[in-house]
Amino acid sequence: MLFPSESALRVDPQAVAGSRDYDIVIVGSGISGAIIAKQAAEAGKRVLVLEAGTGANRSLVGYDDLLTTFYSAAAKDNQSPFPVNANAAMPRSPQLRKLQAGETDSSTYIVQSGPYVSDTTYTRIFGGTTMHWEAKTPRMLRSDFKSRTNYGQGLDWPLSFEEVEEDYRLAEQEIGVSANVEDQSYLGQTFPDGYVFPMRGLPLSYLDQQVNNGIDGTSVDLYGRIYPLKVRPYPQGRNGIPNPAYDGGRGYRPVGAVNTHQVEEGGRCQGNTNCVPLCPVQARYHSGKTLAKAFRMNGKSGQPLVELLPQAVASKVVIDPDSGKVSALEVKVYEDPRSPVYETITVRGKVFVLAAGAIETARLMLSSGLRSTSGLVGRNLMDHAYLLNWALMPQICGTMRGTSSTGGIVDLRDGPFREKQAAFAIDIHNDGWGWATGAPTSDLLELVDDRNLHGRELRQGLIDRVSRQLLLAVMLEVMPVESNRITLDPQFTDALGNMRPILSFTVPEYTMRGAAYARQFSRTVFARLGAQDHTSYDRSDFGYVAYEGQGYAIRGGNHLAGTHIMGTTKTNSVVNKNQRSWDHENLYLVGGGSMPTIGTANVTLTLAAMCFRSGRDILNYLH
Amino acid sequence: MSDRIETFLGLSVELTAFSRFDLLATGLAERYLGTLDKVVGGDTTNTLLAAFAALPPPGDGTRARALRATILGSELLGDVARSLIKLWYSGTWFELPYAWTQRFGAKPADATFVVSPDAYVEGLLWKAIGAHPAGAKAPGYGSWAYPPKIPAFPASDTKADAVSVHLQNVGIMS
Ligand SMILES: Cc1cc2nc3c(=O)[nH]c(=O)nc-3n(C[C@H](O)[C@H](O)[C@H](O)COP(=O)(O)OP(=O)(O)OC[C@H]3O[C@@H](n4cnc5c(N)ncnc54)[C@H](O)[C@@H]3O)c2cc1C
Ligand code: SF4
Repeated sequence: MLFPSESALRVDPQAVAGSRDYDIVIVGSGISGAIIAKQAAEAGKRVLVLEAGTGANRSLVGYDDLLTTFYSAAAKDNQSPFPVNANAAMPRSPQLRKLQAGETDSSTYIVQSGPYVSDTTYTRIFGGTTMHWEAKTPRMLRSDFKSRTNYGQGLDWPLSFEEVEEDYRLAEQEIGVSANVEDQSYLGQTFPDGYVFPMRGLPLSYLDQQVNNGIDGTSVDLYGRIYPLKVRPYPQGRNGIPNPAYDGGRGYRPVGAVNTHQVEEGGRCQGNTNCVPLCPVQARYHSGKTLAKAFRMNGKSGQPLVELLPQAVASKVVIDPDSGKVSALEVKVYEDPRSPVYETITVRGKVFVLAAGAIETARLMLSSGLRSTSGLVGRNLMDHAYLLNWALMPQICGTMRGTSSTGGIVDLRDGPFREKQAAFAIDIHNDGWGWATGAPTSDLLELVDDRNLHGRELRQGLIDRVSRQLLLAVMLEVMPVESNRITLDPQFTDALGNMRPILSFTVPEYTMRGAAYARQFSRTVFARLGAQDHTSYDRSDFGYVAYEGQGYAIRGGNHLAGTHIMGTTKTNSVVNKNQRSWDHENLYLVGGGSMPTIGTANVTLTLAAMCFRSGRDILNYLH
Repeated sequence: MSDRIETFLGLSVELTAFSRFDLLATGLAERYLGTLDKVVGGDTTNTLLAAFAALPPPGDGTRARALRATILGSELLGDVARSLIKLWYSGTWFELPYAWTQRFGAKPADATFVVSPDAYVEGLLWKAIGAHPAGAKAPGYGSWAYPPKIPAFPASDTKADAVSVHLQNVGIMS
């Protein structure tokens, strides 16, 4: 699958502004926008996709440039492949500092309102955050959709698991998920008879197997209930071995690299351990794969049905006061990422879809003065809280090989304990302590500079120090709380004069109780493995949270949700169960922002499933 | 190949415990010598190379001690040698410590930087642990399920039993 040539895609901002025949205008080329664009094109609709970032990586040259930027960056931070673009700025992890209560730090793109500072991030380029993601694709559990009813915590979804199940399968097909049904049938997860994932599960890493050897057959006791432990494989949005039994025996054809030049890339995952921030061979799914299909669809006159306008920042949603419908979007189009010069165009269409990510969609709504009847736009901000635990295994485990994470401990994703404390899923990181300490570079510096090793002792020291690393990244459930939110203030603007998001977030007590237990749990696991615990949390850490006399460094999860929450009425929510705005009938707010809860599933598979649902609703609306 | 680069390779072999062949295979030896010249200057680089050439011959029991005394423990050369080790292992030149620049003068090119995109990919660290650089030289689908192939390296000639690779659970690539 290849993109059509650049020239076939190039659209002129003036032509876009003059056009009166778009059925659907989509803000954002991430997976949410891509799925809706593709579905609409399949139904013969005319679609415009507006993308704030540059479209440079649509060509292979551009994608490879990102890789070169990554290799050349001295600090391999979260966003290192993605060049700075002040016109479509994004949060960058190393710029954060600890704040006191009441203190505000506006030196980074997201204005942080203390005391808690989040390093959560998303990526504003063509393809959105899937250019960057790790691509774990678990489903939410049945009970996650009813956490208020089941556990008296959070909110119930206006949808049941059963209503979403089919769309999960569509999302698994679109992303190209590698997993085995046998491995995923834990905690009561069920799949329709005969279902198989598009591709076979990726094998557990040697490190995972070593951990499993130490814990398999053991269990923990939580509030009087026994939970058996085991390392289970994660479903992954990266190319594995296609399962011939898929689709009733028709099999699955994986999508490889999608660039303008044919190359031998894009096959099976090769284990680069670089899924985050960028897969060099495009084995990992990114939404360009979905858009490539959409861009190839032509209308009756042979014209492409989907147009893309990059470097176009949606800046205002304009409402027709009589009908309450969206009449247009005001869009700032810039010439050059290095210059703040822009022109404003007005874009019209029948239906508008905001798919800019949970923070940017809320930002766009709020800056348009649209708080919604419920006043909930920007509120209920959720993101998984991560607690890192790191140790040295007694034996060499070959750390630093494989995809970022192949397996984890996921048996505490559900249980009656959720009445009292957050559930969690644990990933075993094949890249060792990297996330916690900056390994392996930090190990090299310590061994050479502080331990004065060189030559053979250094080589042996690195083997002992790096190949035995184990990092348990505990991903904790976070429930919706209205005071956790995105707000705006005209004093904080970006290069184009758009207001920047201000983030106020307190890790809920429910989550912290789960974190405190997760720390104990990790210590228990380390003890069973005979691993040396090296975990320590620094008081000056930007994410440091004190809870019941102990301190924990909490990391953001990049699983942003809740800011335009879905519900049953216009007073308890911003969108309905099809992600349509209660207030503006031709406006859809799609993506993680619609999710009422996030359980312990990385959010993307679920938000992708929801977009299939919305796509159908949009087509119904247009008919 | 010039004497200067030969001496540089000899020094690098001693500092990294990778063979001359391994170091040449990175294709970066000249570039790294050039990096030293550029960052700390030709004079200091020559002093470092001369100090290495002046070590007692291999096999002499005092060589390891002399290396520590005259190079790694030298006020001028120690930090430079450590930056060179880190350069070979990671492809990144790490800025010299503050105390060094205070004493010997700040060098305009002395900042932390990746020498070139291939320098990152060729970092010896990955090889030392039987892995591969994050993002390049991928080892193939499913390879991660097997024990790492950690390359064996010769036992120390000075203190043979002080160092030994722990072989338990480790596949050895010869
Ligand atoms: C490091 C990392 C690892 C992750 N790992 C996982 C994982 O393993 N599993 C998982 O499920 N999820 C993971 N995620 C989260 C996942 O990437 C996101 O949930 C998902 O990509 C969101 O898709 P989206 O299309 O809704 O939003 P996005 O991908 O953020 O797309 C939004 C798009 O809108 C554009 N845009 C923004 N503002 C404007 C504007 N004003 N005008 C025009 N365009 C605009 C942006 O440039 C972007 O292209 C990870 C995220 C990160 C950062
Ligand atoms: S391990 Fe590698 S090849 Fe596989 S998805 Fe990640 S970066 Fe791509």
